Amino acid sequence: MTALLEVKDLTISFPQAQGEPVVAVDGVSFRVSAGEVLALVGESGCGKSLTGLALPGLLPAAARLGATSEIRFKGTDISRLSERELRNYRGRRIAMVFQDPLTSLNPVMRVGQQIIEAIQAHRQVGRAEARARAIELLSEVGIADPGERVDSYPHQLSGGMRQRVMIAIALAGEPDLLVADEPTTALDVTVQAQILELLDRLRAARGMAVLLITHDLGIVAGRADRVMVMYAGRMAETASTAALFAAPAHPYTRGLFASIPRLSGEGGRLPSIPGTVPRPDQWPTGCRFNPRCPVVIPICREQQPGLDAIASGHRVACWVAAKTAAKTAR
Amino acid sequence: MIGWLFRRSADAVATALVAVVVLVLLVHLLPGDPLAVLIGEREVDAAQRAALAASWGTDQPIWIAVGHYLLSLGHGDLGLAMSENRPVTTILLERLWPTLLLGGLTLVIDFTVGLALGLWSALHPESWRARLIGALTVVGYSLPSFVLGMVLVSVFAQRLPWLPPAGLADLTLPLDAPFAATLVDRLKHLVLPLASMVIATIAVPLRQQRSAVMGTVTQPWVLAARARGVSPAAIAWRHCWRPALTPVVTLLGLWLPMLVGGAVFIEMLFNWPGIGSLIAQATASRDIPLVLGAGVLLIVMVQVGSLVADILYRVVDPVQRDQ
Amino acid sequence: MKLQTKVGLGLLGLLALLAMVGPFVTVDPDAQLDLLHGTLQPPSLSHLLGTDEFSRDVLARLAHGAGISLGVGLIAVVVAALLGMAIGLWAGDSEGMAGKMLRRVINLGLAIPRIVVLLVLLSAIGAVPIWLLAVVLGMTGWPAMARLVRGETLRLRTAQYVSAAQALGATRARILWRDILPGALPPLLVAATLGIADAMLLEAGLSFLGLGAPPPAASWGGMLLESRSVMAVAPWMVLAPGLALVAATSAATLLGDALRRRLQPDVT
Repeated sequence: MTALLEVKDLTISFPQAQGEPVVAVDGVSFRVSAGEVLALVGESGCGKSLTGLALPGLLPAAARLGATSEIRFKGTDISRLSERELRNYRGRRIAMVFQDPLTSLNPVMRVGQQIIEAIQAHRQVGRAEARARAIELLSEVGIADPGERVDSYPHQLSGGMRQRVMIAIALAGEPDLLVADEPTTALDVTVQAQILELLDRLRAARGMAVLLITHDLGIVAGRADRVMVMYAGRMAETASTAALFAAPAHPYTRGLFASIPRLSGEGGRLPSIPGTVPRPDQWPTGCRFNPRCPVVIPICREQQPGLDAIASGHRVACWVAAKTAAKTAR
Repeated sequence: MIGWLFRRSADAVATALVAVVVLVLLVHLLPGDPLAVLIGEREVDAAQRAALAASWGTDQPIWIAVGHYLLSLGHGDLGLAMSENRPVTTILLERLWPTLLLGGLTLVIDFTVGLALGLWSALHPESWRARLIGALTVVGYSLPSFVLGMVLVSVFAQRLPWLPPAGLADLTLPLDAPFAATLVDRLKHLVLPLASMVIATIAVPLRQQRSAVMGTVTQPWVLAARARGVSPAAIAWRHCWRPALTPVVTLLGLWLPMLVGGAVFIEMLFNWPGIGSLIAQATASRDIPLVLGAGVLLIVMVQVGSLVADILYRVVDPVQRDQ
Repeated sequence: MKLQTKVGLGLLGLLALLAMVGPFVTVDPDAQLDLLHGTLQPPSLSHLLGTDEFSRDVLARLAHGAGISLGVGLIAVVVAALLGMAIGLWAGDSEGMAGKMLRRVINLGLAIPRIVVLLVLLSAIGAVPIWLLAVVLGMTGWPAMARLVRGETLRLRTAQYVSAAQALGATRARILWRDILPGALPPLLVAATLGIADAMLLEAGLSFLGLGAPPPAASWGGMLLESRSVMAVAPWMVLAPGLALVAATSAATLLGDALRRRLQPDVT
């Protein structure tokens, strides 16, 4: 069965005026099946947003894809398509929801108009029909009084409502894949839960796949089927959510879990991963995590580990984890 | 909306009134005998002197004099023009429409062609055409409008006798000439003064629009619109241009006083019989009632324009409407 | 340094040279008048920019006029900036009723077209010596500067270092002088540089209307007025002062833009 989305060896680099191009995303591969929720987790600067933008072909003009990079949507490589051809995919097959709903909505256009725009970009529908559909969508994302709200301007809505509008816009084209880039980061905690709940419902109702990009492991539990952890442009670990939460193998992932504040348990200093994320032009040799790693061994500083399976469906890019797995396998 | 409109209009009226008071005060507060200043070099007999003193209130406390002027203003009476011995109001009305015509057309062209070019320059910032437009606008802005006018006259009216060098119309054209001929003649007379005004002023809205659109092009909502598959044309129009309109409209209101200034020199150069040339000629002949009257009219025009601009601003920017 | 800045500096240099050195290096325009044969001569080796209708050397007149035009521009801008700064600081720093009143005063100043005030004043005063004209020009230019300074003052008032100064017991005047003024200076400087162009154009325009410096001393605007009647046969009489004016205002605009890029990098 072909996966809905298959990304192979995605490399995104930025040529510089002088010197080597800066590589922001380095050889990332993953796949998403229809109806599945894949979480892409990492700190800011790890390249997860760029990965998300690469899918509908919305990278900044200066970005270059690697020669062997492939983005296969239902079998077709869309990474080499022209702008015109890509427009058929954007909104219609692959939709995006962005982080800040205030600036991602045109301030001088009514929200209904922006939904209608999304509808009419892909289907020939009359204004009345499009408007009716927009009201339906607003209702579907849980906005009260959709008939009134459809004529509101973005500044007249609360943050949570604006994000719902963004989701409605994303759904307008009936996409197969929804890429949500930090959809809840700009919202209050209570609203975050509501939005995630909404995404869950919609996904189930429409059989839509979701690529959930976030830095917050907390929102991943119970919402994602599988998780990918990214660090410094590369994949560090990937597993089903259950497996990852039960037994995180990569030291970075472990560090992330350890630093989640918990209400239960004893008090004390909150653990944090020492050091900071390296910039793309300052990546260390060998495993990129090695300067901050608590279990670093000599080979980590020389060679980059490959993404190897340590259990079924659970792959890690770490020499130590691979060794440990090999030992337990014996 | 209606409440705001009412308040804003009241504000415009109040501002105009206070401005008029300031102007009248300026005249009365200058050193010297105001009556002597009013009369200047002219020959007046005792009766005229007395009438002048009465109408201007020069022998009364300044507040009464100002009040008197304002009251007469309310009746539409701005006094007598010293140089022509006709009511100021009559003269003003005669010369109003040429200024409105020239100024109005300049405004229209500046805010259509200027905005279009600004939009285009912002969307194609690296093209040579955009750079050329940028350079030309700097030159055009730096160029005094009347110098530009003189050059245009020299080239198009004197070296190449294509267009008339001055005036509203050809006075030798018979009054019963066919409409088409009159129209063409009027248009020919309009070209050079209009070109001078437009070239000198188009830089301002153009550059403002260009910088505003360059600001919107990088906004997140543009990326979001692309993500839903909207066509580039629709993106340029709805998501880049439309939100960039607001700073341009604010420009309109602030810019009217400047437009008035430019008009004065152009009208003088082209013998265009409008309010601008009127106030300049009246200043030269030191006809204070006329200068004041023209000044009052110009102030009123600026306030009306500013009010219209504010209304447009509220129309264009939905955020404003709710404040 | 960008090309535009170089061009601006170059023009400024040329003009300064013309104004300061020119009058000494060129022939005295009023001497040696040759009214029979020397009038309205096109540019030649002996008269680099030709002669006018009184056979005066145009280049020499241009040099003499440079001092007037540039000087008036500078004086006017300084006066406007000082006045505007004072009013703007006061307006921005005042609370409540006083603050509102001052804001209205500034808006009023903006609402009255500058040229109207100038002409009303000139019609009442009559002819004035050129330096007084410069001051009067400056006195009509304060509203734009005041508005700018007021805006900056309002913005800077909420800065933390101002609160800190207040907590330390600094007087209002001292805060204005030491803390707020330096912050308001950069945009003021930029506006002032650009304002030189406006002032010069206004002076030229007034001279063109016959309201500026009386003959024989003529600024570039006055030269343009004189050239009007002989424009068709002596285009150099229009071009010389015209181009000089363009050069001066372009220099001011370009340098003002360069200053803005330097002092206010985040403003487009």
